[in-house]
Amino acid sequence: MESKSMQRPAAEAAEVEKIQIKDLRFYYEDYEALKGVTLTLHDKRVTAFIGPSGCGKSTLLRVLNRIYALYPRQHATGEVLLDGRNLLSKDIHVDSLRAQVGMVFQKPTPFPMSIYDNIAFGIRLHERVPGSEMDDRVESALRRAALWDEVKDKLKASGLSLSGGQQQRLCIARAIAIKPSVLLLDEPASALDPISTAKIEELIAELASDFCIAIVTHNLQQAARCSDYVAFMYLGELIEFGPTERIFSNPGHPKTVEYVTGRFG
Amino acid sequence: MTLQSRRRAKNLVALAFATAASAFGLFWLAVILWTLLYNGVTGLSPVLVTEATPPPGSGAGGLGNAILGSLLMNGLAILVATPLGILAGTWLAEYARHSKFGEVVRFLNDILLSAPSIIVGLFVYELMVVPMHHFSGWAGAVALAIIAIPVIVRTTQDMLMLVPSSLREAAAALGAPRWRVITSVAYRAALSGILTGVLLALARVSGETAPLLFTALNNQFWSSDMNAPMGNLPVVIFQFALSPYDDWQQLAWNGALLITVAILLTNIAARMLAAGKKSSRG
Amino acid sequence: MSLALDKSLRSAAARSQSSSLMDRIFSALVLGSTAIVLLSLLGVFVALAVGAWPALQKFGFGFLVTEVWNPVTAQFGAVAPIFGTLVTSLVAMLIGVPISIGIAIFMTELCPDRLRRPLGIAIELLAGIPSIIYGIWGLFVLAPFMQQHVQPLLIDTLGELPIIGNLFQGPPYGIGILTAGLVLGIMVLPFITAVARDVFLTVPAMVRESAYGIGATTWEVVWRVVIPYCKVGLLGGVMLGLGRALGETMAVTFVIGNAHRISSSILAPGTTISASIANEFTEATTDIYTSSLVALGLILFFITFVVLSISRMMLRRLR
Repeated sequence: MESKSMQRPAAEAAEVEKIQIKDLRFYYEDYEALKGVTLTLHDKRVTAFIGPSGCGKSTLLRVLNRIYALYPRQHATGEVLLDGRNLLSKDIHVDSLRAQVGMVFQKPTPFPMSIYDNIAFGIRLHERVPGSEMDDRVESALRRAALWDEVKDKLKASGLSLSGGQQQRLCIARAIAIKPSVLLLDEPASALDPISTAKIEELIAELASDFCIAIVTHNLQQAARCSDYVAFMYLGELIEFGPTERIFSNPGHPKTVEYVTGRFG
Repeated sequence: MTLQSRRRAKNLVALAFATAASAFGLFWLAVILWTLLYNGVTGLSPVLVTEATPPPGSGAGGLGNAILGSLLMNGLAILVATPLGILAGTWLAEYARHSKFGEVVRFLNDILLSAPSIIVGLFVYELMVVPMHHFSGWAGAVALAIIAIPVIVRTTQDMLMLVPSSLREAAAALGAPRWRVITSVAYRAALSGILTGVLLALARVSGETAPLLFTALNNQFWSSDMNAPMGNLPVVIFQFALSPYDDWQQLAWNGALLITVAILLTNIAARMLAAGKKSSRG
Repeated sequence: MSLALDKSLRSAAARSQSSSLMDRIFSALVLGSTAIVLLSLLGVFVALAVGAWPALQKFGFGFLVTEVWNPVTAQFGAVAPIFGTLVTSLVAMLIGVPISIGIAIFMTELCPDRLRRPLGIAIELLAGIPSIIYGIWGLFVLAPFMQQHVQPLLIDTLGELPIIGNLFQGPPYGIGILTAGLVLGIMVLPFITAVARDVFLTVPAMVRESAYGIGATTWEVVWRVVIPYCKVGLLGGVMLGLGRALGETMAVTFVIGNAHRISSSILAPGTTISASIANEFTEATTDIYTSSLVALGLILFFITFVVLSISRMMLRRLR
């Protein structure tokens, strides 16, 4: 598969376990959306979550930074260990957790402020940074997200004035500016045209050298192109997990076979 | 007549009525504005703003003290109502969106929004005028604030509800605590809508007369003492219009024109603000 | 790496403590403001009840069924103002409702696209004109016109009819119940129109189109499909207008004539609750007089509360 060109040789670095999910269950009120998922995400690797809509892949992602906690009727049980600490436990403060685990959403969500302030907003939440250093931080985040050249002359322009693809890269820049160690991408390219999508995928490959990345996608080619591991989910359960190449070339579970060969979903 | 032609005739009559009804509505708007202009333009001069209300029959004087009083009380009312209204609207939209108690508060606020303003006057009379033993600008401002608050609550709530939850999630995902999500992101996204609400509230209180009748009362002299009865345009219009003196009636018309123009301009500004936001969002 | 993470989590914990404090402060702030809004509604009720207590205690239930309103003998009864309030509002609804619905039909079904926005703005401007302007206009323009042209005509025509003629008796004063009702009718136009237009627009285009599709005329579509489809919301709009009319003060005070009596003729002067309060409150010299006026206010508050509650319940599903 062509995707191999983007993957780094496995020998480059040893696999380091970053997030361990153990028997994770998730409830929307009484409805059980995740039925005991156990899985490990590796540092500096991209793990793609695939499966038909409603399989719980987005739900799983929303547990990893506890963004679901915004809604009172949703809750999770089980364990999710980030560097060995259970992030579901009560004594974890969600705001500092979210500084460690950044997230980018399905549709671009630029804040109604300037491009510069979109980035600086997140940094200021967690650090006191003097003005000149802030400029550097903003620039390096925008460079990292491959957006700098396009916006360096209009940093004071509204974030809403950018194109959809640029907005999404702005959101990625905003997330990495606060130096998280994990990045969650929830179908980050689903609202974008093919050219913008390609840029985002390129960017994901770039970022994989620094972050533990989890990406939800409904696009199998995308999963094949930019991930190291794939988790296939179905009806709230993890059906199969393994290196991307094996899942696509030699899936073990009949459901996985059906899905990756496009017979349902 | 055949069935078909009867149906067509009925249709024609009904649609003619609907058209006539619209003409009727526009006709009154035109008549009222024309009367205001026709009667109100006479005797418009700078004196209107610089002189205080005259004794009857003197043929001189203006509305300066009433304008000052109205500005002071409206300004104070909006100053008080804006933070309270925005915060209460925030609670309804951000903290109690799906709660039963929030539903009740929303309902009561809507009632307060259309409650008769004279009732508010009576309330503030019992609340402030009776214990203080005198009418005052403070009491007038409080009465106006009580009328402005539900307007601001309602628009703030509606505008915050329109802010997509994805924007809140995105801010929370950066580790922003709830109060920062609201103040830095939700308020910004809803800003022009909230300002529209404040302007609409200002327009609403500027014309209110009934709640001032027995709170601020009136004062024929220049006064910026909020602790004393205070002149104001609506009550002056009321008293002067019902007086038997021609010069007072003329001043009432001048005042009516001033107040209507001010309110319509405020309304138009509010609408332009709201429309400007819509178009900039594409 | 793990050490650095630990350190950053620890300093983050310190920061997050201050941020959760701010969270608590902010939520207390918004909740407190909401409490003030609630208290002001509760306060209105309590203040009115306290102020009305002396009168209610003295006159008891009789307050509600007595017509006499005599400051000299300190006898007060609420029948005349209640009657005037209801009758002026009824007249206002009879005029305002069909015309508002007519305008709404014109705006949603007939109006060329180019006219729709200006017409909407004009109606909203009509809603923005303060009530005192309606009052002064009613007194100086409408009342003389009614006196010279409309009322003589009514007396000579409808006034000659049996039974119904009783409504149109007496000299043409110009001011009075009918004129007040007419001014109120014009005042509530924009409120009912705005709601009616909004509820008409909630009818799915497909429903409307399928009615046109079987060959219905515009009128049949409106009368048989659109109005039945949203009759609850429409009624909510009417109740909202009624709530406005019942409580309106200044527009009525100018043209009602302020007479505490009940006449069978709608051409005669009368009074309403709000007009009585506006006219007499600052002149009320005795405590029982003031208290009786506050008691009137309490009755008005109760009536409008009920009407507006019904209206809001009917309009709730709109949102």
